[in-house]
Amino acid sequence: MSKRLVVSIAAVMAAGMFSPLLRAQDEKWNNIPPRRSAYDGKKSSAPAPRRDMTGIWDAAQALGTSGASEHPALLPGGRGSEGGREDETGIAKPLPYTPAGLEALKKNKPSGPGVRQVDSALTNDPAGKCDPLGFPYMFLWELRTLNVVQTPRQVMMLSPFYGNYRVIWTDGRQPPKDPDPRYNGYSVGKWVDDYTFVVETTGMLPKTWLDHAGRPHSDQLVVEETYHRVDRDTMDLTMKITDPKMYAEPWLALNQLPLHLQPADFDIPELLCSPSEFAEYNKQVGSVVLRDSSKK
Amino acid sequence: MTNKLGIIARVVGVAAFSVRLFAHHGAASFDTSKTVTVTGTVTEYVWSNPHVFVKVDVKADSRDTAHWVLEAWNPVTQAGRGWTKNTFKPGDAVSLDINPAKNGALVGEIRGRIVINDKEFKQLQ
Repeated sequence: MSKRLVVSIAAVMAAGMFSPLLRAQDEKWNNIPPRRSAYDGKKSSAPAPRRDMTGIWDAAQALGTSGASEHPALLPGGRGSEGGREDETGIAKPLPYTPAGLEALKKNKPSGPGVRQVDSALTNDPAGKCDPLGFPYMFLWELRTLNVVQTPRQVMMLSPFYGNYRVIWTDGRQPPKDPDPRYNGYSVGKWVDDYTFVVETTGMLPKTWLDHAGRPHSDQLVVEETYHRVDRDTMDLTMKITDPKMYAEPWLALNQLPLHLQPADFDIPELLCSPSEFAEYNKQVGSVVLRDSSKK
Repeated sequence: MTNKLGIIARVVGVAAFSVRLFAHHGAASFDTSKTVTVTGTVTEYVWSNPHVFVKVDVKADSRDTAHWVLEAWNPVTQAGRGWTKNTFKPGDAVSLDINPAKNGALVGEIRGRIVINDKEFKQLQ
């Protein structure tokens, strides 16, 4: 083996050891999904399997923190992320609040970027206390990577982000008529054709938020999700919000949001909310950076 | 321009950094129009939720030391940028570009160039 070849091999090995990108690709744990741009211009893959959504699906960092992606809580051009407003007047795609909805909105103080953002230490966001996000908040904030498991009776969606999980019954049962509320509500799903799965969820706790912009909901909330398997590697998600107490008409929170299938051995990293870690963060940062210290 | 805390401050264009995709909070408390370079010594590196943070001591002179707390995002987002639990260790000499707190507290968000022990750390994203 020539000296030049030995040096080249050593250089490649050293690059592999010290390159975070290569290290991430080599390891079987804590895999980081590709960025959204990785899918740009990609040709359609093989046909989708019939009535099957099993797999690791990633939203490719498509959602932000300013609210349901179809209605970000931002002014035209994405302005207004500094917050400070009481309501959402002037945002690019306003929501059809009822008077009760508007009143409920004003009580929620979000810390996510948006026209109503408050300092992190002043938020009453359930996420700021590590309370359960519930559904659909868990899908309308940082929808990252989902492990979808399908059995003959259920579709289970497991998300290591904030330890969220959902059970969607597919055994033909009907939604409960007058349920005791639950954070994640009660979900039933059915295949309306070989590639389209529709889920209806009711019975969510009214104290939970719809999204990270503090949009409210009532006990009348009905969330309809439509998962459409476009091909083997892509599935899109549309989510409709219906809540006549809070919104004068139904609206789409997500509209054909693409989810991308990851390799079968993809290990989703953990991202849990720890109350003690959160308290330490607020002590070190959140309460220290308050713009108006009289509000401490 | 070096002030008495040994901090080099400069205002830069912020278009590339002004859109926040993920975080439990937005940028309301931080001045995203301003980038400050904090140069000092790491005293603690905390790999936790909701934000990873690095504590850096900046010596102004033999008597005064400024204690900075500099936050990044959550561990998963930072891992996507190539950070690990070992990216910093106490005693490292660092130079970090940050957006400072609007209220003047010695707290900032790490946004931009990162130099650790005279080597630039290139983030992946």
